[in-house]
Amino acid sequence: MASVVYPAPHAQPHGDTSRGTATVARPKSQTGLRSWLTTIDHKRIGIMYGVSAFLFFMLGGFEALLIRVQLARPENTFVDAQRYNELFTMHGTTMVFLALMPMASAFFNYVVPLQIGARDVAFPRLNAFSLWTFVAGAIILNLPVLASLPSTLAYILGQLFGWVPQFTLPFGNFVPDQGWYGYAPLTTPLFSGKEIDFWAFGIQVLGIASLAASFNFIVTIFNMRAPGMTMMRMPIFTWSTLITSILIAMAFPAVTIALVLLSFDRLAGTSFFSPYNLVDGQLIATGGDPLLWQHLFWIFGHPEVYILILPAFGIVSEVIPVFARKPLFGYAVMVYAIAAIAFLGFGVWVHHMFVTGLGPTPDAVFSASTMLIAIPTGVKILNWTATMWGGSLRFSTPMLFAVGLVSQFVIGGLSGVMHAVVPVDSQQNDTYFVVAHFHYVLFGGTVFAIFAGLYYWWPKIFGKVLSERLGKLHFWLTFAGFNLTFFPMHFLGLAGMPRRYWSYGAESGLWFWNIIVSAGALLIAASVWVFLYNVLESHKRDRKAPADPWDGATLEWAIPSPPPVYNFREIPIVTHRDQLWVEKYGPGDHAHGQEDELDVTIAGAKVGGMTVPDEQAGEQAAQRAETLHAEDDAHGIHLPNPSWYPLISSVGLLVLVLGILIDNPHLQVLFLGIPLISLVGAVVMILGFYGWAFEPASDPVHSDAGMGSAH
Amino acid sequence: MATTVVELQTAHGSGGDIGHADGHAEHPPSSTGMDSRKLIMWAFLASDTMFFGSLIGTYIIYRGRAEALGVGPFPFDIFDIPYTSVSAFVLLMSSLTMVLALGAIQRGNQRGLRVWLLATALLGAIFVGGQYFEFTLFASEGLTLTSNMFGASFYVLTGFHGAHVTIGVIWLLTLVWMSLRGGISQENSMVVEVAGLYWHFVDIVWIVIFTLVYLIPYEEVATGEGAPAVEHSMNLLARLGAALPF
Repeated sequence: MASVVYPAPHAQPHGDTSRGTATVARPKSQTGLRSWLTTIDHKRIGIMYGVSAFLFFMLGGFEALLIRVQLARPENTFVDAQRYNELFTMHGTTMVFLALMPMASAFFNYVVPLQIGARDVAFPRLNAFSLWTFVAGAIILNLPVLASLPSTLAYILGQLFGWVPQFTLPFGNFVPDQGWYGYAPLTTPLFSGKEIDFWAFGIQVLGIASLAASFNFIVTIFNMRAPGMTMMRMPIFTWSTLITSILIAMAFPAVTIALVLLSFDRLAGTSFFSPYNLVDGQLIATGGDPLLWQHLFWIFGHPEVYILILPAFGIVSEVIPVFARKPLFGYAVMVYAIAAIAFLGFGVWVHHMFVTGLGPTPDAVFSASTMLIAIPTGVKILNWTATMWGGSLRFSTPMLFAVGLVSQFVIGGLSGVMHAVVPVDSQQNDTYFVVAHFHYVLFGGTVFAIFAGLYYWWPKIFGKVLSERLGKLHFWLTFAGFNLTFFPMHFLGLAGMPRRYWSYGAESGLWFWNIIVSAGALLIAASVWVFLYNVLESHKRDRKAPADPWDGATLEWAIPSPPPVYNFREIPIVTHRDQLWVEKYGPGDHAHGQEDELDVTIAGAKVGGMTVPDEQAGEQAAQRAETLHAEDDAHGIHLPNPSWYPLISSVGLLVLVLGILIDNPHLQVLFLGIPLISLVGAVVMILGFYGWAFEPASDPVHSDAGMGSAH
Repeated sequence: MATTVVELQTAHGSGGDIGHADGHAEHPPSSTGMDSRKLIMWAFLASDTMFFGSLIGTYIIYRGRAEALGVGPFPFDIFDIPYTSVSAFVLLMSSLTMVLALGAIQRGNQRGLRVWLLATALLGAIFVGGQYFEFTLFASEGLTLTSNMFGASFYVLTGFHGAHVTIGVIWLLTLVWMSLRGGISQENSMVVEVAGLYWHFVDIVWIVIFTLVYLIPYEEVATGEGAPAVEHSMNLLARLGAALPF
C-alpha cells in the first residue's frame, strides 16, 4: 500500500486557477490577513466567531455598566432618558444576537466537526458566508452606536464639568431605543425615526447568517458523521447543536417575516402593526394590529431562548462526565429532553404576553404548556447531578463553571415556573423580577456554560494551557459578582421597581439594593478582565497543551492540540458512545450498559431501539471507512480551497442594506427610485453568488498530486 | 478510483449515495446515504414553510379587516378567479416539465434537459408576467399596498411568492446555461434535482395561497359596487387581450 502523504492543506497549486468561470484568483497564502479573509476552515471560522462574539460581549457589558452607573443612585443624571433607552436596547440586542448566539456558533464550528470525526462542515464556503454575513449584520446594528460614541462621551464629561456639548456625527442620532423586542407601535413611523431601520435591517441580516449556518449544521451532523457513529452514539454537544440548528431554521422565519412587514410599514406606508396611519397630516384608522408583532416576535423569541440555552446545556453535558470520570447519566433521556424542550418551546410564546389581555383560555393553555417545560429541564438537572453522584470529581475551572450553571440555572428555572402562573406573572410583569429571571437563565446558564466551554476547549483550540489559579479566581469573582448583581433584582422587582425606567425617586427606598447591584456589576466586569489577563498570560508563557489534557471521552481529544488543518489523519471508526474512553480503557466500565439501553424489550419482544441492526451498521461502517481510506491512500487529503466569494457576497449584502439605510435622494437610479448604492451592492452580491457557484470547490488535482509533494 | 478526490465541499462536489447500485466511487459516502445538497435543500424548504406560514397567518388574521372598516377595494370586487386559475394551471404544469427535465438528464439526454428546463422557465415566467399584469390591473382599480389591510397583506404574500418564482426562473436559466457549457453530466443530475425540489415546493405553496386567498369566498359587504363576478372577469380577460402586443 502506498504510504499516505498529507500535503499541507490549502496549498494545492497544481490546479489551473483560471479554470471554470472563476474570475477572482484563488487565494494561496496560508498566513496573514488574506488567509483569514478567505478561509473556509471550520476551525478558523470558529475562532473568528469567538473573537468577535467576545468583543461584543465586552461592548454589551460596557453598555450594562453604564446602565448600572445611572441607576447606582436615585435621580441620577449620568445619562438622560433617551440615552438610557438606547443603552438597554443595545445591551439586550448586542448580548442576544452579537455575543451569545455567535459564541455558540463558535463552539458549533470548532467542536462539532471534530466530535463527529469530519474534516470540515458539509458546506465550508456557506460557512464562511455565514460568518461574514454575521459581521455585516453586526456592523449595521452598531454603526449608529459607533457614531454616537463621541457625543455620548462628551455628554458624560459635560456632566462632570457642567457643560453640555451639542454635536452629533452622521447616524449618531439613530441609535435604536425601542428595546430588543421592538414592540409596535413604538417602531412604527409615527413614533420613531431611522434608528428602527438600522435595528430591523441589522437583525434581518443576522437572521440570514444564522439561517445559513443552521442549514449547514443540520446537514453536517446528519451527513458527515464518521463511519459507525450512529445518531445515538453522537456526543451530546453535537446533539444540542443539531436541535439548536433545527430551532433556528424553524424559528427565525417568524421574526424575518415580522421584520419584513415592519419594513413595509416603515418604508412603503403599510400599517401591519399600527392601527393608525398618518396620511397627509391626518390619522386614519387602518385595522392594523400591534399585537401581531408580539405574536410573530415571540413565536421566534421563545425558541430563541432555547437557541441560547441548549448549546449551553450541551457544553455542560460534555464537561460534567469528563470531570466526574463517569459516562453521562441517562444519555438517551438527555437527548429526548433536549428534543422535548425544543418542541415545547414553540408552544409557549404567549407567556410573554399574559398581560396583553388575550383572555383566560389562551392564558390557561400557555400557562400549562410553560409549566410542562420544567419537566424535561428538571430531567436534565437530575441527570447532571446523577452523573456527578459517585464520580471521582475534579473541580478544574471548566467543571466549576459547569456546576455553577447547574446551581444558578435552577434558580432561574424556578423563577421561570413562577412566571408561568398567570396571576403571579401579571404582578411581576415589567418589573426587575423578570430582569432577575432572565439574567439567571442567560448569564447563570449561557454565560457560565460559555466560560466552561472556553476553559474546556481552550487547550484544544490554541494548544496552550490556561492558568488554573487565575481560572478559579475568575470563576469565584464571576459567581460572586453575578449573584450580587442579579439576586437583589428579585427584591427590587417584588418591591415594584419597573424595568426600563431611567431613574427612580429618592424617597422610593430602592437605592440600597440598587447600589449593591451596581457594585456586583463592577465585580463581573473585573472578572472578565481576570479572564483576559489569563488569556494574555497563557499566550506569553506558551505552556503547550497535550492532546488530551482532561482525559476526554470524545473524538476531538484524539487528535493533536491544536488540531492539524485536516483534523483527522484517518477518519476514525466509531464503535461506541464515549469512543475515546473505550479506546483508552476498553469497553468495560465506561461503556457498560450503553448499547443495552438502546434495545428495549418487553416480554422478550423488541419494542424499541434507535440503531440499525448491528451487522448492517458494521457493514455500512466498514464500507464507508474503506471508501474513505482508499481515497486517502490514493491522493492524500484534499481539502477544499479558500475562496474570496463568500466574503464578496457578504460585502455586497452589506452595501445593499447600507444603500437602503442611507437613502440619499441624490443617489438614486432615476426612473426606479432604487438607491444607487443598493444597486451596486446587489450586483456585487449576485456576482459573488455566481462566482461561488461556478468556482470548483477544490482545484483539480493532477494524478501525481499529493504524492510526496507537501508544500 | 484513480481520479477520485475527497471533496468535502459538496456544494459542487459530487454528493454521494453509498447504497447506489453501481457503487460509483466518485461519490464520497454520506452518513445518511442522502446527497448533502438534497438534504440542505430539504432543510431550507422546511424553513421556507415557516416563512410562508408566517405570511399566510398574517393574511388570515387581516382577512375581513378592510371590509370591517368599509375601506375598499375588497377582494370580491377585484379578484378574477378564471384569470388566476389559468395562471395557476400554467404554474402547476411547469412542475410536470420540471420532472421531465430531471428525467431527461437522468437518462443522459442533454437536449431533453435543456428543452424541458426552458419550458419550465417559460411557464414560470408566464406565471410571473401574469402576476405582474394582475398587480398593475388591481393597482389601476385602486388596490395598492397602502389602500387597506387587504391590499397590504395580499401584495406582500403573493409578491413574496412571486419573488420565489422569479428566483426559480433565474435558477432554471442558469442551469440551461450550465448545460450549454457542458457542465451538467448524467452523474451530476443532482444539481437539477435540487432545483426541482425548490420548484415543486414553490408550486405547492401556490396551491395553498390560491385556495386561501382566491378560492375561499369572502363575505360581500354592502359598500362597494359588487359587480357580478362573471361579467367582471370577462372584462379583465378583454383588457388582458388588449394589453398583449400581438
